[in-house]
Amino acid sequence: MKARDIFSYSFSAIRLRKLRAGLTTLGVVIGIAAIVALLSVTQGLQNTITNQLETGLATDTLIVVPGRGFFSEGGTSIGGGFGVGGSDFKLFINDTEIINSLSLDIETSVAIIRKNVYLQSQEQSLVVTIRGVDFAKYAEIYHTTFVADKGTINLNPANDEIVIGKALHDPWENGTLLFNLGEELEIIWTNTTARPPENVSYTGRVTAVLQEIGGFGVGGPSDVGVYIPLEQAQHFFGTEECDTIIVKLKTSERDVINAVSEAITDAYGGEVSVVTSTAVLNIINRVFSVIQLFLAGIAAISLLVAGIGIMNIMIVSLIERTREIGILKALGMKNRTVLMIFLGESVIIGLIGAVLGIGAGWALANVVAVVFSEGGLFGGIASGQSAQISNGGLTIVPVLTPTVLVGALIFGVGVSVIFALYPAWRASKLKPVEALRYE
Amino acid sequence: MAPLVEAIELKKTYMLGKVPVEALRGVNLKVESGEFLAILGPSGSGKSTMLNMLGALDKPTSGKLLIDGIDIATLNDNQLSDLRRRVGFVFQFFNLIPRFTARENVELVMSIADVGKAERRKRAEELLEAVGLKDRMNHKPTELSGGQQQRVAIARALANNPKFLLMDEPTGNVDSKTAREIMNLIKRLNEERGVTIIMVTHDQHLAREAKRVVQMFDGVITSDVVNGEPT
Repeated sequence: MKARDIFSYSFSAIRLRKLRAGLTTLGVVIGIAAIVALLSVTQGLQNTITNQLETGLATDTLIVVPGRGFFSEGGTSIGGGFGVGGSDFKLFINDTEIINSLSLDIETSVAIIRKNVYLQSQEQSLVVTIRGVDFAKYAEIYHTTFVADKGTINLNPANDEIVIGKALHDPWENGTLLFNLGEELEIIWTNTTARPPENVSYTGRVTAVLQEIGGFGVGGPSDVGVYIPLEQAQHFFGTEECDTIIVKLKTSERDVINAVSEAITDAYGGEVSVVTSTAVLNIINRVFSVIQLFLAGIAAISLLVAGIGIMNIMIVSLIERTREIGILKALGMKNRTVLMIFLGESVIIGLIGAVLGIGAGWALANVVAVVFSEGGLFGGIASGQSAQISNGGLTIVPVLTPTVLVGALIFGVGVSVIFALYPAWRASKLKPVEALRYE
Repeated sequence: MAPLVEAIELKKTYMLGKVPVEALRGVNLKVESGEFLAILGPSGSGKSTMLNMLGALDKPTSGKLLIDGIDIATLNDNQLSDLRRRVGFVFQFFNLIPRFTARENVELVMSIADVGKAERRKRAEELLEAVGLKDRMNHKPTELSGGQQQRVAIARALANNPKFLLMDEPTGNVDSKTAREIMNLIKRLNEERGVTIIMVTHDQHLAREAKRVVQMFDGVITSDVVNGEPT
């Protein structure tokens, strides 16, 4: 029997039981829709986060942190925050000079002292991460982002000057201000190394508000950042140690990045980690792959349930059509053709289900994206470290990759066919004499 | 020339639960091309088993059944399917596919035999016209009377130019007037077109319509009469 005739026979059998076939197909539609929706939303979210990171992470900068292994390319350990616990190694502010001397490809480097403090005005009090940086060098490295929207960033600042990110100034973007330009703020830090622990504080003045940056600001300036002069930080926190050294390269070539990273790591005997933007992005991508696999796995379960539905319906159909199969065999139809007819039915159900499912999933993904984007569900994440501050939310644009598209199609049809194999095989093996006798 | 059908010491034993039942106990029979043969017997005589063998639906336990010179015992499932296409089966209960029209039912057997679309349509229409259903060919079985359905079944049986028509109580499910019409059609096919017909029935009156009557009882042939004369 010709393939077209087999297909047409399968189709006529499906058409005979429209409701049943429709409900069976609905199972496939739901399964595929769930997979497509979850994957395209996740892919969209990944793209958004990657873009934001790329904004925050200049590709020609390296971030040097004390501790082994973390964020280095190919590394698999994922700890909390920069650096890995268990190492007593410290970076010092004057290590920038050592690092600068390591390679001619290094333009400059800047040390960052990072501490969690209370930032207190007359009305507001907030826990923030404060960064002590050399304003001049920092502005040189991040010349597109460490830029004042209001006030001025003095390259040779007075000790009490404070620069704040946009989100600490006007977080709701409606004129209700959190901390204003020119406002005096008290910075309170609990020195936990003192015995007994003691609170120290000083009063600073907001001299500049950064323009809106967006993104996560890994290493670089961020909308929720608070910046004070490096000397002031050294003096106030009583330390020569720094948490991070940002290294600016003369080029963003991959070979240079790798060579300098290696030179720095070697110079410190492997006691520091060099974070490159590509390494961070690699980790993000790896994490998202796992998330996608996990979500697709959950969605696949619903498709398996649909598959069992198909098997069930096929077995019922097989029993109902026993006599018909007997007739077909008596008329000379081969076992193989009977098998193909039943598999053909499952292919039709799978194909229709997958196509409708992809459409439904895509529609669902767009609805979910709109709800998530506008509802600001990710507002907290977007604003980085401080969950209290909304940054307006992320905009997720769902992405349906060709891989997902083709994969969903193959998976939908594949599951249908696999679950139809057993009933189809049973149908093909029916003995014509017995099948004809079946009432 | 070899006979169209030849049974030699044909035996078939079924297991009914754990009890063996000897349905055929050594049948010897030759059918030549162009014959109109009735196999007559009461229920339990083995005539249905004989029918299944002749239709290549079942294999013998021992002995030989040669259809067109081929021993069916030596064939695998695929080859049996091929052989069935050379037999035109007409069932007591018509066994048409209900969702197909008369024409589509006739076309179906030709599509099983890989006949091209245009060819099978033309041939289906010719055959339905020959059995007197020219104006009913686009009706589904439920819209046809029993007699009309059996005509469709006969047209279907003829579609692949079979070596012989194998009929199982062809008038068993229609009224006597329709039965007469069907029998006339069958006789005409035999006489005018030279179609070989093997008809299985328990009805003596019907069997008398055939040129040759083979009587079966208890799994063996008890008489074989041609035009009223014992052979």
